[in-house]
Amino acid sequence: MPLDFPVVTSTLPNGLRLVVSEDHSVPSVSVTLWVDVGSRHEQPGRTGLAHLFEHLMFQGSELVAEGEHMSLLMAQGGRSNATTSFDRTTYVESVPSGALELALWLEGDRHGHLLPALTQDNLDNQRDVVVEEKRQRYDTVPYGAALEHACRLVFPEDHPYHHTTIGSMADLSAATLEDVHAFFRAHYGPSTTTLVLVGDVTPEQARVLAERHLGHLEDTSEPRPAPSAPLGPLPQPVALDIVGDVPSERLYLCFRLPAVTDPDFLPCAMALDALASLSVSRLYRRLLRHEETVSGVSASVLGLADGASLGLLVLDVSESVDPSVVEAAVHEELVRMGVEGPSEVELEASRADTERSWLEALASFDDRADLLARASVIFGDPQHVNTYLDDVVAVTGEQVRRAAAEWLRPASVATIRFRQVRGVDEDVAAAEVLAASGVAP
Amino acid sequence: MHRPAVLPPRAWAFPEPAEHPLPNGMRLLLVDLPGQHVLSLRVVLALPVSQEVPGTEGATLLMTRALDEGTARHTSEEIAELSERHGIAWGAGAGERGVHLGVEVTARHLGTALDLVTECLTEATFPEAEVARLVRHRLADIAHDQADPGARASLEFIRTYFDPRDRPHQPLGGTRASVAALDPDVLRDRHASLTPAGGAVVLTGDLSACGDVVAAVAATLGSWAGSGGPAEAPAAARRADDAGRVVLVERPGLAQTELYLGRPGPDRRTPHGWGTYQTLGMVLGGSPHARIDQVLREERGYTYGVRAGFRPRATGGLTVAGGSVRADATVPALRELLDILAVPGAELTEPEVRAAADFVSMTAPGRYGTADAVADEIVSLVSDGLEPRVVTATLEQLRGLTAAQVGAAWDEVLAGPGWTVVLVGDPQHAAGLQDLGIGPVSVVTGS
Repeated sequence: MPLDFPVVTSTLPNGLRLVVSEDHSVPSVSVTLWVDVGSRHEQPGRTGLAHLFEHLMFQGSELVAEGEHMSLLMAQGGRSNATTSFDRTTYVESVPSGALELALWLEGDRHGHLLPALTQDNLDNQRDVVVEEKRQRYDTVPYGAALEHACRLVFPEDHPYHHTTIGSMADLSAATLEDVHAFFRAHYGPSTTTLVLVGDVTPEQARVLAERHLGHLEDTSEPRPAPSAPLGPLPQPVALDIVGDVPSERLYLCFRLPAVTDPDFLPCAMALDALASLSVSRLYRRLLRHEETVSGVSASVLGLADGASLGLLVLDVSESVDPSVVEAAVHEELVRMGVEGPSEVELEASRADTERSWLEALASFDDRADLLARASVIFGDPQHVNTYLDDVVAVTGEQVRRAAAEWLRPASVATIRFRQVRGVDEDVAAAEVLAASGVAP
Repeated sequence: MHRPAVLPPRAWAFPEPAEHPLPNGMRLLLVDLPGQHVLSLRVVLALPVSQEVPGTEGATLLMTRALDEGTARHTSEEIAELSERHGIAWGAGAGERGVHLGVEVTARHLGTALDLVTECLTEATFPEAEVARLVRHRLADIAHDQADPGARASLEFIRTYFDPRDRPHQPLGGTRASVAALDPDVLRDRHASLTPAGGAVVLTGDLSACGDVVAAVAATLGSWAGSGGPAEAPAAARRADDAGRVVLVERPGLAQTELYLGRPGPDRRTPHGWGTYQTLGMVLGGSPHARIDQVLREERGYTYGVRAGFRPRATGGLTVAGGSVRADATVPALRELLDILAVPGAELTEPEVRAAADFVSMTAPGRYGTADAVADEIVSLVSDGLEPRVVTATLEQLRGLTAAQVGAAWDEVLAGPGWTVVLVGDPQHAAGLQDLGIGPVSVVTGS
């Protein structure tokens, strides 16, 4: 049975799309502006710019001083943030209903009139902040580079998903103020933006406020790039060994999957659930409970829009177990999933888990706004949030089996092996560690 | 165009739970939240970790996590299957005062969830093989924590700050040595100390389709007798005599240095009012434009973010600040951070205090918009011996809060013992730390 979250959509004369989901259970409104620009829109040599904007958009605009966007809203009980991914950049606020108009005025000013305030000084400062963000999130934590490696291995060099959103620090430091201004003009505008409001607001009020504060935005954006040709599974297996100081040896088995809108995507996601996401999943039962060769196993899917997605199986190898034993066992189970399909329990658990977690996400205004924006832009229909669970229930075991047989074959896997220094070659490793710490051997 | 005026916030109060006594003496706290289709069920039980037998630290947490690893009626795998086929997600945790179990479940599977949680509480058997597996996984988690600069800093902090005679000196989940020593008998002993006395069941979400929930809970969790004696209060958490010092955990070549600063702070019963400290946390380190990041992030570009706040305990608590900074700026960043934190209360301004207090009070409706957020707040309060109406009372206090009141509370923190400073980073920073004049500096190995 479809869910019945209310959804009202319209388009302003300047092309900005508006989606409203009215809910008066608490006196607050969540605002999402989904801009159709992510790392996949970046040009070679200019990576990291989409994410840099997530920072620059808080540095002031024509009528708003540096930092004021956040501080004005905070003083009214508003929370604001932004995130960047492969396909999009989102700007979000959660505000008491009485501050909604202020939030939209602030968004109108920065989405329409950012450039007068985008100076060399705040470009330089936010570049420094991004360098520290990269160090904190990716460079100083174990396995922090996993996603970057996965994208490089799984997607061809000229593919939009070959690089991750944080981008190259060399590209970022090479970017001039003019490059950055040009990026804004090319990608930010009403025709690339979808505004979603969820909460204590009527569709009529929403429309009036959106017209008032975002209706005047002019479009300078370039047409969105033509979709990339769909990719099939990796034509042959690839592997990368990374030796370093990690707390346990870890395997990432990475798969190309179809685009998130492809009918095969959901069966692939459910196959990965059946393999590893749940306690009833076969890899969890076999490797973690019975053979005890791993101390952790999980699966995740990154559903992407442009012709391909990414699927990951992650396994923490138990101490003194040879990772190749684990890898061989995973390959066996991949093959078996492609031949036998999921068990009834795996399938039922995957459906039940998806139902609960989807409803949990929709329970919050913030997440509901994000999912509505994603449904509107990626799936072309905000009602997708109401029908998604029906799509999940409709997936059969046979569809899951076929998806696994096509997309999750050992012959199509990119494997990243994080190896411990001691697991490889004691002498070489000891020399590397001493060299790295600057102590003469 | 002019900036739009902001309309006054609509009236809102934290939902007042309906309270029902259960047959075993536990309180049942119900909050009906129409439209919240996933229910949050929590069981909160008093069981202080300070009662753990020395050498078995971590037993409370592991016992709680092992409750669904086998009962007199079902094996671990059967429980997993029963849960997941009904979309029931489990959570379990331990804190200073006690343990909590939680499940998230859709309304139509609430009955199954209540039966399962009751069965696990009543009949958990702690099978040898499952406990051994959980011990191994917990040891792997500890290794991962040791490798993560942020987690490593907080481990070193408690070891430096808390008196070695007291339980908080050791990690809540235990050390490698204490966890390795855990076996089914230790967990069974911990389980035998569980009692419904002083405990609570919290259930939030859209209850309209659940029938008579009071009867359903009374017949399940309300029938659990437990075997422990009356619940005790947690033991002391004294500051070590030599806590006023600097410890650098060596991590050669680390691109950033993790900073973790702490000194005494209040508990939630503070006469200044808890909202005063929530406001202080925002003013000092609650956003990119708070006092700390305005300088360290926005002016200097040293960091992605350094935060400050307060961690309440049963008695007293901690004032903490921390984050990671560019390695080559370690000493200047720490110096500036200490300067910023030394601001006398009288210098906190009325506008910054008002903005911070308004942020804390006016974000409440949005923060408590979901069943799990409401349940978690109630759990956090009742397990700390406070009533849910404290949320609304705190919000009222915030509306009238002045800079003078906030300044006085901060001055009290500054008048107490000074900072314990932990860094995780390259050992070359040690020399510069000596010059800061904040106590003796020691360097410890990273593992």
